[in-house]
Amino acid sequence: MAEMIRLETALTSTRKFGPRRFGGDQILKGLVGAAAVFVVLLLVALGIELTEGSSLSLTTFGPGFLTGTTWDPVHEVFGALPYIYGTLLTSALALLIGLPIGLGVAVFLSEKVRGNRLFGYTLGTLVELLAAVPSVIYGLWGLFFLVPVLKTYVETPLHAYLGFIPLFASVPFGLDFFTAGVILAIMIIPTVSAVSRDILNAVPNSQREAMYSLGATHWEVIRKSVLPYARSGIFGATILGLGRAVGETMAVTFVIGNTPRITASLFSGGYTLSAVIANEFAEASYPLYTSALIEIGLILFGLALIINLFARLLIWRMTRTTRFRV
Amino acid sequence: MQTSKKAVSGTTIGLVVVVVIVLAGFGAYVAFYSPGQTTVTASITSVSTATSVTSVTSVSTATSVSSITSVSTATSVTSVTSVTTATSTYLPGATVNGAGGTLVFPLMSSWIFGFTQVQPNIQVNYSPVGSGAGIAQITAGTVNFGESDAPLKTTQYAALPANSTLLTIPVSGSGVVPAYNIPGISSTTHLNFTGDLLARIFLGSITMWNNATLTPNGVSLVSLNPGATLPANPITVVHRSDGSGTMYAFTQYLSDSNSLWRTKVGYATSVNWPVGVGCKGNAGVAGCIANTQYSIGPLEIAYQIQNPGAINYGSVQNHAGHFVLANLTNINLAVQAGASAGLPAGNAQWSSFSIINNIYNDSMDTQIYPITTFTYALVYQSLSASYAGTSQAQAVGLVNFLWWVVNSGQNAGKSIGYPALPANVVTLDDTTLNSITYNGTPILGS
Repeated sequence: MAEMIRLETALTSTRKFGPRRFGGDQILKGLVGAAAVFVVLLLVALGIELTEGSSLSLTTFGPGFLTGTTWDPVHEVFGALPYIYGTLLTSALALLIGLPIGLGVAVFLSEKVRGNRLFGYTLGTLVELLAAVPSVIYGLWGLFFLVPVLKTYVETPLHAYLGFIPLFASVPFGLDFFTAGVILAIMIIPTVSAVSRDILNAVPNSQREAMYSLGATHWEVIRKSVLPYARSGIFGATILGLGRAVGETMAVTFVIGNTPRITASLFSGGYTLSAVIANEFAEASYPLYTSALIEIGLILFGLALIINLFARLLIWRMTRTTRFRV
Repeated sequence: MQTSKKAVSGTTIGLVVVVVIVLAGFGAYVAFYSPGQTTVTASITSVSTATSVTSVTSVSTATSVSSITSVSTATSVTSVTSVTTATSTYLPGATVNGAGGTLVFPLMSSWIFGFTQVQPNIQVNYSPVGSGAGIAQITAGTVNFGESDAPLKTTQYAALPANSTLLTIPVSGSGVVPAYNIPGISSTTHLNFTGDLLARIFLGSITMWNNATLTPNGVSLVSLNPGATLPANPITVVHRSDGSGTMYAFTQYLSDSNSLWRTKVGYATSVNWPVGVGCKGNAGVAGCIANTQYSIGPLEIAYQIQNPGAINYGSVQNHAGHFVLANLTNINLAVQAGASAGLPAGNAQWSSFSIINNIYNDSMDTQIYPITTFTYALVYQSLSASYAGTSQAQAVGLVNFLWWVVNSGQNAGKSIGYPALPANVVTLDDTTLNSITYNGTPILGS
């Protein structure tokens, strides 16, 4: 009897760990597999739908749509270049402002107050809370608070003293590329800092200890050991932030001035791809107009794709070179 | 043995449990959700309007009941001091769906609330998706009625289902005012503008507030406003960034007033603005003007009425040469004047009709406010047709709703900034609504 039980136990344990089991694992595999396939199908369907919806505009304007600078719904002339320019410029500004701050927060949380529950935990939670604020709130806050403040205390002095530089040449109005960049920077800080912090936390302590043992200061440890080690991860965090900046709609449309214009001046009104879709889609009254707006969506889709591919390529190159160096 | 078996299929059991819970939740939702069901009021202490009381078990004191439309069962009502009306003419339950312009949305919400007080079984849903999308949805038959701030274009009429007749029913009007923010001009002073000067400002050819160069019409900002000290500051132009009926009205008015605007920019819900910055929504434009000194922008009158004194705005010259400060009375008069110049029949194509043009060309009336526009409900004449996608109960509910909107609901808009339709428009709308049929029978005639 006792032997029989032992045999049974042995059999079960074989079934438990053996490779050929039918049951929960198979179902689980099927379910998660279906989820993965579903996402791919969704992406394909999105691409097909966008291409199909914009076919009228694609055939009417051809590649000229990408370089056209006029957007005139009354005379049925559509060109996307000012929107592409606006999207790229505001995203770049957002990274320029948001990345150092986000990274600074991450370094502070990970290297300076790690393990400090009261301070580190509270600050970390607050930063993550920023990510939970709906973008329309950022937009309204931007319009009613940030625009007047930036205009009076940042843009006007910059224009007065550095107005000879084309970047600050036009008279500040508040609703412009610069404000949109600042709003986007605020919005990507939580993404960049939260992801970077986790990555910095994952840097093995041996890296730091090795540097300290050589007599390095805290700053040198961070700069020469921690940050280079976490380089590709931080880059990934940046791309996540950039993705948010490129696609952000509501917050931007409130503060960017919604003027399809290409100028070097940051203090001039602009427009972004997503903002024009949000603004004009509801009232687009004839097929070519709708089609042109869908093509704007297609461009945005393509832009996101290119950014991601580019990022992957960079990360791949970076990890390949670092492997031999570290 | 048994315990280990359970452990093996633990994942399966977990998944089955999750699926069962989801299915059960969905089943419960389907079982218990039934739209438009009447509420049961157990005890009433004071009722001003009780739209539907299915069963009342015990009411100790009801001091004042203004109108109860139908009470099915009332077991014990101790004392009801006064019941003004008690009728029982409920329409059969139906859900009516509409979609269209955003301009009319606040008013539509107020209408829907008011109508359900009268007809509790009819649930009206309205999605403010925009005029273009509203037209697209009524064309596709996915809603029972559409709504648009501009009449359909000929191409849009051509896209309608074969052999269909889409009725155009003006349901409300709106006015657009030139709002501005000029430090030093008191809120009791209202600057004077002409349509031509506004067009020149929005074209970017007049750039300074103290512009004194006379236009070919012999006026300038300075000459029109002798009482005000206009500052030597550049004008910042603000406009809507999202497509809207407000901009449709404003740009059409500018097109009427200035030939360069007409050829260079034209009119639509979204145009290629020559100068200025775009702000999102009516409130966004108001915010941009309030935040920016020396700015000017077109603002819907509803905003001014709901936020009195928030932003100063100017008078506009009408065709009779008078400078008129917009209010609901002179907007109503403008609609009346525009309509008496001739409205198309409800079942005709309205593409070439423009209330703005009619008002603009009406030189008789000295009191009318010129930048005034209509907003339209769009309904198929034959609601039983397959393209209309409307059941009989929905058709009855829809036509009664629109009838109520045109005839009883017009005063609802006054407090939130929409003028009432003048009598001549109401008469036309009533004729149009009477012509709507289901299976060949007029819905309102029966």
